[in-house]
Amino acid sequence: MPQRMSIAESREVRMAWLFAAPALLAIALVAAFPVLWTFWESLHRHDLRLPWLGRPFVGLSNYREAFTDARAWSAIAHTLFFTATTVSAELALGLALALGLNRPLRARGPLRAAALLPWAMPTVVAALIWRFMFESPGGSSWFVDPLAAWVPIVLADVWKMMPFVALLLLAGLQNIDHSMYEAAALDGAGPVRQFAFITLPLLRPAIAAAVVFRSLDAFRVFDVIYVMTGGGPGTATEPISLYAFTALFRDLRFGFGSALAMMVFFVSFFLALAWIRLLATPESVT
Amino acid sequence: MIRTTLALRACPGCVALVLAGGIASGCGGGSDGRPVLTFSGSAVGREAEILERQFDRFETAHPPWRVELRSTPDSADERRQLYVQWLNARAARPDVLQLDVIWTAEFAAAGWIRALDDFAPVVSDFFPGSIEADRWRGSLYALPWFVDVGMLYWRTDLMPQPPATFEALMQQADDVMQGEGLPFGFVWQGARYEGLVTVFLEHLGGFGGQIVDEHGEITVDSEEAVRALTYMRDAIWSRHVVPSAVLTWQEEQSRFAFQNGQAAFMRNWPYAHALMQDSRGSRVAGKFDISLMPAAAGGSPTAALGGSHLAINAYSAHANAAFDLIAFLTAPDQMLERARVAGQFPSRLSLYDTPALTEALGLAASSARRVIESARPRPVTPIYSELSDILQIRLHRALSQQQEPREALGEAASAMRAALTRAGLDGGTRRYD
Repeated sequence: MPQRMSIAESREVRMAWLFAAPALLAIALVAAFPVLWTFWESLHRHDLRLPWLGRPFVGLSNYREAFTDARAWSAIAHTLFFTATTVSAELALGLALALGLNRPLRARGPLRAAALLPWAMPTVVAALIWRFMFESPGGSSWFVDPLAAWVPIVLADVWKMMPFVALLLLAGLQNIDHSMYEAAALDGAGPVRQFAFITLPLLRPAIAAAVVFRSLDAFRVFDVIYVMTGGGPGTATEPISLYAFTALFRDLRFGFGSALAMMVFFVSFFLALAWIRLLATPESVT
Repeated sequence: MIRTTLALRACPGCVALVLAGGIASGCGGGSDGRPVLTFSGSAVGREAEILERQFDRFETAHPPWRVELRSTPDSADERRQLYVQWLNARAARPDVLQLDVIWTAEFAAAGWIRALDDFAPVVSDFFPGSIEADRWRGSLYALPWFVDVGMLYWRTDLMPQPPATFEALMQQADDVMQGEGLPFGFVWQGARYEGLVTVFLEHLGGFGGQIVDEHGEITVDSEEAVRALTYMRDAIWSRHVVPSAVLTWQEEQSRFAFQNGQAAFMRNWPYAHALMQDSRGSRVAGKFDISLMPAAAGGSPTAALGGSHLAINAYSAHANAAFDLIAFLTAPDQMLERARVAGQFPSRLSLYDTPALTEALGLAASSARRVIESARPRPVTPIYSELSDILQIRLHRALSQQQEPREALGEAASAMRAALTRAGLDGGTRRYD
């Protein structure tokens, strides 16, 4: 009775949509609405300080300004630099930590909890601690040099976020069937070969997840830098989110600030798509 | 952060609800049925204590009102951001706002504060520079509460008199560092924030330059400005009189260095005076005095004019009572009390002729007045924050040796001009009657 089945099926589909509706509505409200609103705002000239100008539609002129703005470009370059350095350091150190924690240790539970502590700390608190550590009571300062200022920033972020990467990788490590190592050992493969031909390939999904999460997060960096250098000296450490924040809150240029915010959104979005394509294993794509 | 704002903007009503929920007494009246006026501003340390005392007296004189203090972040930038969120959402509270002198034009232009013309306040006794900053397009929008001026603090135990010229300052600072083994000669506020602009303005005036000239033209790329900024940079990197760490310092870090006896000179606001005379926390109590900033040939000693002003929220439902509160807080008695307890300089000229002020401040009112008379306002424009940001960045780049002073100031001047043109405000940075 195919007819009846399909009626039941379509009823089921309708029910499914009905049940999913609250969640979809929540996603639309929480995710889609603010993005669309920001986009709409970015197509207007809207300056809170100059209400007599109204809020005229200006098409892409805010984007044109952003694309010809040297400060926006250097902010994007800073953001990419921060993302590349922190994510690679977190990945390398996180992998080492995960491998260490994956061994049969006596106090494994407490050790794992201790390793996670930095991650549990609020970013602003962590950034303040690192700032105080690098602020010498003497007359010189790391934060006065445009290159040296990156050192405490990157260290603080790596220190804080590395445990998160380690946690993701540790979960991946625990999914690897132990008998593979035994078989490899029987075939005469040493620890290096085992790591290169068993651990790394099988860890690939976990590494992909860590890289996607961390690089998207790092690309939106705001708080660590806001607290430690405020983007200085000059604008030598200013990331794009901080510039967007300045345009919005200090300059009250909502149209232009929204265009900068949309740029952060677009880059993050395409970064996410690119990473997922590059790093996903063939099975998980299909 | 960005998303939060958008949500706030999208739903002003929600914000009003949240705010109303946040204030226990909400609109209408307090738990005892009395109508409530809300005041928001700085309430650090002794300021909260004076305010509570003065609110009590106001309530006695103006029944049935009750005044509630809503304290705001200490950092001026954060306070301004909070105000922007409240006012852009058209929140009716707080009724009275404490504004930094440089925000008045911006808030007035945005329609966030109410013109005070209806109340016809008498303004002849206030310092003209302070009142000037309270006007926008011919209307008065705020009243000066207290004035802040940049002063030179110097160590009376290490030198007979303060330096009159920038070169003498450098020399004396160097002598004291060599002779007494002090780690720092001169300390100021060099972090990338508004304070840096005020310190630069004082050096600039001392070298004979201005940020904006009398025609409203941006002149931060003048020869005088290049000389002033070069002097500031060289004091750090080639003369080693100013520690490079000042480029991360705000007021408090420089005060700590000076009150721990580490520096021969400090540039700071009046608030530091009272705190450093307290021998419980200060090693220099009784060993320092204030003076005008030095000047070079062709310039004159210059203080940056700062200060706090009181304005009425444009959406306040209690404008009349709010004005009564402002008039009360800016009356001579309340100003003297603030001077005594918090060391803040009154904004009324006539008080400087009274012995009561000398006694209240613990320093000669005449020398305070001398500094105030050398005070120069910052440009009065609704886009001041943006102009300041542009300038801060270039000053900081030059001082951290990323750019030559001439190049940095040239860039700052053209970016500032472009911002004024974009806002349609060219030539209108400063308003003259």
